[in-house]
Amino acid sequence: MSKLQRILYVEDEPDIQVVAKLALEMVGGYTVKICSSGNEALREAEAFAPDMILLDVMMPGMDGPTTLAKLRQLPALDQVPIAFMTAKVQPQEVAHFKLLGAVDVIPKPFDPMTLSNQVQALWSAAHD
Amino acid sequence: MTDMQALLAAEMAKLGNSYKARLPLELGELLALAGQLSGSDADHPVLEELHQRLHKLAGSGGTFGFHSLSEQSQQLELVTKSWINGEVLAYQTMLGGLIEKIAALSLTLSERDTSVAYKQGVMAVKTDVKSRNLLWLADDDEQLGLELQRLLKQFGYEVCLFTRLDQVEAATGSEQPDILIMDVMFAKEGMDATKEMNIRHNFKAFHCPILFISARGDFTVRVRAARLGARGFLVKPLDVPKLVDRIEQIMEAEKKAVYRVLIVDDDETLSTHYRLVLMSAGMEVEVLNQPEKIIERVSTFRPELVLMDLNMPEYTGQEVAIVIRQHEQWIGLPIIYLSAEADVDQQIKAMGKGADDFLIKPISDTRLVAAVTVRAARARQLSDLMSKDSLTGLLKHSGIKEAVEFELARAQRNGFSLCVVMIDIDHFKKVNDTYGHAEGDCVIMAVAHLLKQRLRKSDIVGRYGGEEFVAVLPECDAITAQQIMNDLRESFSALRFHHQSVDFGCTLSAGLVCNKQYPEASAGKLLVAADEAMYMAKQGGRNRVCVA
Repeated sequence: MSKLQRILYVEDEPDIQVVAKLALEMVGGYTVKICSSGNEALREAEAFAPDMILLDVMMPGMDGPTTLAKLRQLPALDQVPIAFMTAKVQPQEVAHFKLLGAVDVIPKPFDPMTLSNQVQALWSAAHD
Repeated sequence: MTDMQALLAAEMAKLGNSYKARLPLELGELLALAGQLSGSDADHPVLEELHQRLHKLAGSGGTFGFHSLSEQSQQLELVTKSWINGEVLAYQTMLGGLIEKIAALSLTLSERDTSVAYKQGVMAVKTDVKSRNLLWLADDDEQLGLELQRLLKQFGYEVCLFTRLDQVEAATGSEQPDILIMDVMFAKEGMDATKEMNIRHNFKAFHCPILFISARGDFTVRVRAARLGARGFLVKPLDVPKLVDRIEQIMEAEKKAVYRVLIVDDDETLSTHYRLVLMSAGMEVEVLNQPEKIIERVSTFRPELVLMDLNMPEYTGQEVAIVIRQHEQWIGLPIIYLSAEADVDQQIKAMGKGADDFLIKPISDTRLVAAVTVRAARARQLSDLMSKDSLTGLLKHSGIKEAVEFELARAQRNGFSLCVVMIDIDHFKKVNDTYGHAEGDCVIMAVAHLLKQRLRKSDIVGRYGGEEFVAVLPECDAITAQQIMNDLRESFSALRFHHQSVDFGCTLSAGLVCNKQYPEASAGKLLVAADEAMYMAKQGGRNRVCVA
């Protein structure tokens, strides 16, 4: 099994983009690419070849679930674990997101110190 | 905490501070949006926008420790969502409530969780030195307030105007300006600000330099102002350049400038640790593991203090210190030895060889920061006294000439363009002759303030002669420099100075040169070319900017 190295993070909020990038790069040592919209992610994702994708749920234009569905149609990405990042995490919603094909939901706000561990754990679980 | 985590914490603190600084603006815009709602179908796009922004706030607020802001925004987000979805009919009766709740978001800003991820290395990180220079201006005379706001903006300040004392009080919870400029009498409210601020809790808890402006300046009012810790008391009619001068003094005193520290140590792990500790205290730090490169590094980085390991494998700290001291320009550079040496005799011997102080390893992070801060502050104070012009606080003639040389060399090394600007106040002799030297000094200070305010932090400004200034603009092309200078020239010409009952204005002429047009020129040649261009501007009728 390969190792988690490349993470694609789709998020429209610039502040959170910066924090997430710092957290994942500095603490986790991952290679991180940020896309600011679902459309950008669809354009860039295949070329970046991520090991894991993190998706904000609510974005203007294309929302997280729609982006997930479209990413899944790309043959190169149909096996890549995708997790949602969202502020709203009620149990039934987590279940709903999992039904859509997400491995899990990471609640926002995340702790920048432990985000890398959370992502690593989800990725490892998906590869068990 | 690992080093990476410490660094991340420092970065987070930096981001958090700049986020915090932007919040009041964001909340103001939310309030304005909510104010547009009417309860009709036309609301839809506004509601969508509100919803998006509240959602973002809910997400980002928590990331930076504003948990109650995050929670309350999330609740409001749900409210707007239900309105968008038509789940609530006739919500216009609820608009007032929404506006109130949005207004109340600003009250949450004081509740910030700075624990866990936001904990900073050792001391509070003061970043964004080039902050926005935000002033709050409170005056019940709106006409006067607007005029003053306009004038202060010309000096590059961001000015937020209040016309009621209770507005100011309400705003204290959300944001802190760099300075609060406060009128004393608020006639409409029938209040004396110096009295109210001494009583009201919100003001008491508000720690921000205050500058009073007042129509009358009798003793009792002044004493009340003094009790509030006021940093100044100016009597109307206001002399704007004098006001700016006072503002600038306060800002200077408040500003925690970033110290540049060079660590010379062959132990990479330890030096990286020191670097992180000092960085998290807001300093700019470089590490040199090879002492052979000391002179190059000191010349390029220009540290204000050197932390030197005493025992390195090939050279001792003393030897490296002596090499530094062989260069005349670095004779005053503070050097502190860091060593495990506990023997006092050894220390004294080492100090005799070019160093200023001695710190013993292992040293706690807190002590390291304190020791370096105190010494760097003192060194800067001394070097400011020696190199800065006492009237304007700008570099003196020799200092700015040196800066041109240094910056030109750096530009040539890195292949970027650089502009040198020569500025001269038009008909300055007439100002001195007509209004006296004190007034002349005011005019000179106004130019100095404008230069400091308008140029970037990386630009260097000096007073070249009596009414002559030089600015060095690295990484700037001629067109941009000309725009900047024209903007500054216009601001200056719009300023009004007062002498007794006379009101007068001044203009300036500037000449600038870009090194790209003179690739072979030395620093001296560039200064001559800028001077010639300035002369052209004078010949062309003054109050203009010419390019060589």
